[in-house]
Amino acid sequence: MPNVGGWRFVVLGVVIAVMLVLPLVVKSSFAVDILIRVLLFSFIGSAWNLMGGYAKQLSLGHAAFFGLGAYTSTLLQIDFGISPWIGMVAGGFVALLASLPIGWLCFRLRGPYFTIATIATAQVLMLIFLKFRDFAWGAEGTTIPNLGHAPLMMQFETKAPYYYIVLGLLTIALLITARIERSRIGYYCVAIGEDEDAAEAIGVDAPSVKRQIYMISAFLTALAGTFYTQYIYFIDPQTAFNFNISIEAALVSIVGGVGTLWGPVIGTVLLETTSALLQSWLGNSIGGVQLTVYAVILMAVILWRPTGIMGYLAEVYARRRSKSLSLPAKA
Amino acid sequence: MLEILAQAVINGLLIGGIYALVSIGVTLIFGVVKIVNFAQGEFVMIGMYISFFLATQFGIDPIVSLAVSMPVLFVIGVLIQHFLIRRVLGLNDLPQIFLTFALSLLIVNLSLMLFTANYRTVHTWYSDEAFRVGGLYIPVAKLVAFVLAMILSGALWIFLHTTDLGKAMRAASQNRDVAQLMGINPNRVFAVALGIALALAGAAGSLLMPFYPAYPLVGQVFVLMAFVAVVLGTLGNVIGALIASLLMGVAESLGIQFIGADSGLIVVFMLLLITLALRPSGLAGGRRR
Repeated sequence: MPNVGGWRFVVLGVVIAVMLVLPLVVKSSFAVDILIRVLLFSFIGSAWNLMGGYAKQLSLGHAAFFGLGAYTSTLLQIDFGISPWIGMVAGGFVALLASLPIGWLCFRLRGPYFTIATIATAQVLMLIFLKFRDFAWGAEGTTIPNLGHAPLMMQFETKAPYYYIVLGLLTIALLITARIERSRIGYYCVAIGEDEDAAEAIGVDAPSVKRQIYMISAFLTALAGTFYTQYIYFIDPQTAFNFNISIEAALVSIVGGVGTLWGPVIGTVLLETTSALLQSWLGNSIGGVQLTVYAVILMAVILWRPTGIMGYLAEVYARRRSKSLSLPAKA
Repeated sequence: MLEILAQAVINGLLIGGIYALVSIGVTLIFGVVKIVNFAQGEFVMIGMYISFFLATQFGIDPIVSLAVSMPVLFVIGVLIQHFLIRRVLGLNDLPQIFLTFALSLLIVNLSLMLFTANYRTVHTWYSDEAFRVGGLYIPVAKLVAFVLAMILSGALWIFLHTTDLGKAMRAASQNRDVAQLMGINPNRVFAVALGIALALAGAAGSLLMPFYPAYPLVGQVFVLMAFVAVVLGTLGNVIGALIASLLMGVAESLGIQFIGADSGLIVVFMLLLITLALRPSGLAGGRRR
């Protein structure tokens, strides 16, 4: 057996180096835009994966936190002139606080009804922001004032800086996930995900663990909301609380492999690449193509590879290893 | 004022009958197969498009086309049970939730590609007719839809309580293992449950067509209503789902009347969240599966 641990660092080093120089090499703004989307949804997927993948609390309401993050930083910026860098962190804390009452309500239900309750909370937030016009521009939304090149206000004239910001966010999420994977709360989450009653029976404080992981997941998701609003210079309730964000967060994790560190990243790369190829092939003329393909991929994964791509890779790896181990025995 | 209130209640009850058809389907599938069908609304949409095409191509009245949409959706239900849902039974939550969710995404987006996002309407001779009772206004199309929805719900109740197959379905929903020991074939019972549930959704679609536009996302409104009604009415309980649906129709209608035209859904969601906050124990079925 080669030294797997050593190889892993080499591969990781190469990946990091490639990611860092990529925007210097790729000049097409269409391509950089796709890269940013991939990194953004990898990040949102990683945030979802903490709760949905490890603790198996299958939320379809993460748009609630995305939207809260987006609105917090935008309101702070437009009404008080506070930099989105601060607004981003503030948005994270707003989402973290919001996750407490939302969790208090939704964790009363299990399984599919937990999922439905999370959908309802995100929808209620969207409807509230649509309804109350004087508070946050209502249904029309607002554009973010364009200051040109203003790094302190998270505004840039080229796409590369946005790329590095979201790359940084993803790195943070992956480091947090890696840390949680090997911590007590991570093991508790996995135990709850396997069988909540059994976990409680052996002394895991399931409500408290679920609350904590939900807070972390909500905080990270909100950061993505701020970033996205700054990137597209526009906010309205339909964009900020879009159900598709909740869907894609879950989708990339499931396709890539729930409860694995790299699952959401791999899932996003697959889904977003497919979607970009479809778009350049068919154009934007026909609505619904992208989500049709996503739905087919999701269905195929559930029926044939419920552990996702990561689970499949682990299987292949285990098979090869057991083969190489059993060879000497045969000889 | 009293008249406005009474009118709002009537409007709510009439649309609540349609919600009931969808909710009963959801609760039937949940009770018997132990699966939440996220795609139930999409079958309402399919029912609507079936009636729409029969009406525009052959001039068949949407109410008459019930005779087509219900059997077609029954068959679709049996096929979905056989080829999709059967394969995830007994697995954990994730495949069970996301299989029907993926199905919903697939149907909605295929319809977007095939039918575009345009609103399709069917105008029948009774679409604009209404009875006037005192100062109240009762649209004929909605009344017909309500009455037929109640007849179908009643027929289902009689089926569940008097026929062997219906009793087998109730037995399977009470205790699957014991039912199997008593010689009930679960696959057959599950297939029939899916078939009936989808047929009811299809019926809802046909009944809506004279007064409601068809478009690919139309199912989402109905499925959200159904989920709330099913939670409020205790999961797996047909009568509970029926009563809760009528109440939700009224709540939505009062919300529209007194808070604003875009507030129907807020009222419904708030109702769900408040119920969860105050009486989660009343939702015994939602807590444990």
